[in-house]
Amino acid sequence: MAVSAPITSLIIITCVCVCVHFPSRWTGQTIIYLHHSHPVLCIIVTFPPQIMLTNTGPVAKLYLSIIDDVIENMRELFSDEGLEDRVLDDLRHLWESKMMQSKAMEDFRKNSINSSNFVLQLPASYSQTDQEVTASVVIPASQSIYSFPRLKNNSDTLATFSLPAGLAYPVQIPAGVTLQTASGQLYKVNVPVVVTQAAAGQQPVSRPTQKVTEWREPAAPRPAAVAPNTTHPQEVEPSSAPAPSVTQPPQPNTNYVPPTEESSLPQQPQDPAADTLLLQGADSPEPEFRLEESEPSPQPEPMNLSMTASPCGQSLDFQTGTEETLTQTAPLKSRDVDDILKQVIEEEREKAERARSLTSAKTDSPSEAVLGLDLDYSYSELSDIVQLDGPAGNSDLEEEEGAPLDENDFLGIINAEAIKALQEGDGSSDGNSISSSSDGEGADELANVEDEDPLNSGDDVIEQDIPDLFDTDNVIVCQYDKIHRSKNRWKFHLKDGVMCYGGRDYVFSKAVGEAEW
Amino acid sequence: MDSSNDDALDIIITNVVATFRTRCHLNLRTIALEGTNVIYKPEVGKVLMKLRKPKITASIWSSGKIICTGATSEDEAKLGARRLARVLQKLGFKVRFSAFKVVNVLAVCSMPFAIRLIDFTKKNRPIASYEPELHPAVTYRIKHLKATIQVFSTGSITVTGTMGSFDFREAIRAMPLR
Repeated sequence: MAVSAPITSLIIITCVCVCVHFPSRWTGQTIIYLHHSHPVLCIIVTFPPQIMLTNTGPVAKLYLSIIDDVIENMRELFSDEGLEDRVLDDLRHLWESKMMQSKAMEDFRKNSINSSNFVLQLPASYSQTDQEVTASVVIPASQSIYSFPRLKNNSDTLATFSLPAGLAYPVQIPAGVTLQTASGQLYKVNVPVVVTQAAAGQQPVSRPTQKVTEWREPAAPRPAAVAPNTTHPQEVEPSSAPAPSVTQPPQPNTNYVPPTEESSLPQQPQDPAADTLLLQGADSPEPEFRLEESEPSPQPEPMNLSMTASPCGQSLDFQTGTEETLTQTAPLKSRDVDDILKQVIEEEREKAERARSLTSAKTDSPSEAVLGLDLDYSYSELSDIVQLDGPAGNSDLEEEEGAPLDENDFLGIINAEAIKALQEGDGSSDGNSISSSSDGEGADELANVEDEDPLNSGDDVIEQDIPDLFDTDNVIVCQYDKIHRSKNRWKFHLKDGVMCYGGRDYVFSKAVGEAEW
Repeated sequence: MDSSNDDALDIIITNVVATFRTRCHLNLRTIALEGTNVIYKPEVGKVLMKLRKPKITASIWSSGKIICTGATSEDEAKLGARRLARVLQKLGFKVRFSAFKVVNVLAVCSMPFAIRLIDFTKKNRPIASYEPELHPAVTYRIKHLKATIQVFSTGSITVTGTMGSFDFREAIRAMPLR
C-alpha cells in the first residue's frame, strides 16, 4: 500500500501490508489513532469484511454538504429565473472543483497522504500464507474518525492505542492491532509488521492489473515496502466488483513534494505481491496521481484505470477525495493534474450518481461503508498530486466566510490584517475621505494649518515600524466566547469557526488559544 | 534631614499620561477593523490601541480625544502621541495633532530606610492623611506643586502629579521625613 508523506514531513514510512483475500469487500472500520505529528504509520492488514476505512476529512464533508445545500436550494430559484439546470450543475462543478483544489483537497490529501505515507514492511520471517483475517482487534467506535485528528496533536482520540509522538522507526507492530493514521485511515494489523521509514526514492507502484494474490515475502533490508494502501483496489475492482478490498501492497508512498523521490517504483519486492490490501480507498488514487506527477508518461494509464474502475461509492466524499492535490510544493505537473482532476471529478460525479441510484438514501457513514470503500482508495493516490493553490485560498475564504464578515456583529476575528484584506471592498466610509485621498495628500493639507498640529507627514513622526508579519494566510474566522488579556498575555476562547492554516481548512466548534503580544 | 537624602535618591518615572485631540470625529469601528493592535470596547465607546515602540496604550474616543498612557518620559509620550496620530491619519482620518498636554506623571523612588507612618502622620497633621483600613500608605498632598505623594512603610514613595519630572525632587524634599 502506498503511503505518502504528510505535508509537513518528507519521511516516508515504508511498510508492508499483508494482503488477504476476501471474497467480499471489507466494510468494517476501526482504528487506532496515531499521533498525527508523526508521519503516519500505517499497518494494514486487512480484511475482515466488516472493516472499512474511511478517510474523508470532516472538513471536506462539511463543505460538500454546504455546497449541496446551497445548490439544492438554488435549484428552484434558478429554474424560476429561467436558467437551465445545466447552469446550476456547472456552477456546482466549478465550485466543487475549485474548493477541492484549494483547501479541501489538502484536507483529503492530508488524510490520504498521512495514511499512505507509510509502508509496512513485513518482518523477514513472515511467510505468506492465506491468512484468514480475523477481526481480532476491537473496533472502536468510528466517531473518533471524525474527530479532527489533525487538530489534536496529541490526543488519543481512539481509545485503544496510540503510538507515542517520539516514535522512532522502525517500529514493530504486533499482529491484531488496528491503527489509524492521522488522516483517519484505518488499518488493521493481522500480521506482525515492521514500519520503517522508506527511502526517499520510494515510489508507489501501480499495479493496475493486480489481483488479490499472496504476498511475497519482502526483502527484509529493503526499506521501501509495498505501499499498503493503494490504488489497486480500484484496479481490482473492475475485475471483481465486490473484490476484496485489498490495496496493492507495492505502493510505496512517496513524498509528493519532490517528484524526484518518486523514482524507483518498480523495485518493490512486493510488487508482485499478490494480495492487495484495501486499507483505505483514498490511498489508491494517491500513488497513481503521484505517479502522474512524477512520471506522467508511464503512469497515467494505471491511474486512469483506477479512476474509472473505482466503483462509485460515496458520492461527494469520494469526489473530494479524488480531487486531492498536493498543494505543498511545486506545481510540477499542475497541468496534468488539473486535467486529471477534472476528469476525476467528472468520473466521480457519474459514480456518485450511480451510487445514488443504487442507494435510496445518501447517508454519510452507512453509505460510505457500503459503497464508498472502493472510492476511498483514490485519496491516497491523489494526495501525491502537487498543485499550487491559485487564488483559491482567499477566494474560498471569501465565498465561504465572506458572509459572516459582513455581519455587523463583532466576530472574533483574529487576524486583523486578513480582515482588512477582506474588507478592502468595503472601504472606510463614515465621513472620512480615505479612499480617494492618499495619505500623503492628507498629511500635506494638515501640515501647516495650526501651530498646534505640526503633524508633518512622516517628517516628525516616524512610521510605525510594524513589520507586516501579519501578512499571513493563516486566518481564523470564528465567534468568541471570551477573550482575555493580562498585560501582554492573551487568552482566547473561541467557538464555531474555520481556521485556514497552512492552506488547509480546519473546522472547529471550540478552540482555546494563548498568545503573547 | 530630608535634603541630604534626596541627592542619592533614584527617582524613576514609571508612567506618563498625556492627552491630545485630533480635531476630527473618529469612526471607532473603522479603527477597530483596520487598525493593528487594537482592542475595541463598544460598551464603553472607545478603542485601545497599543504601540510597541514607545510602549504606549492609547484610548481613542470617537470625539477625537485621545489619552496616551504608559510612556516613560514626557518626550516619549509626545512621540508616541504623534505616532498614534500618524497611524490614525494613515487610516484615513483628517487628524490634526493639537492640544497635546501631559496630564499626569507617576514616579517612584525608594528610601533606604523604613518609615514609621503613624509618627509621620502625626507630625504632618493637616497635609498627610493616613487611613490604614483604606490604603496602606500615607497620602501627602502638596498643593502648590499639585503633587500627591504616597509614603509606604517600607520606604517606597510614589509621586504622582501634573508637574514636570524634575519637580519631583522638590516634592520629595518638601516632605519631612523621619
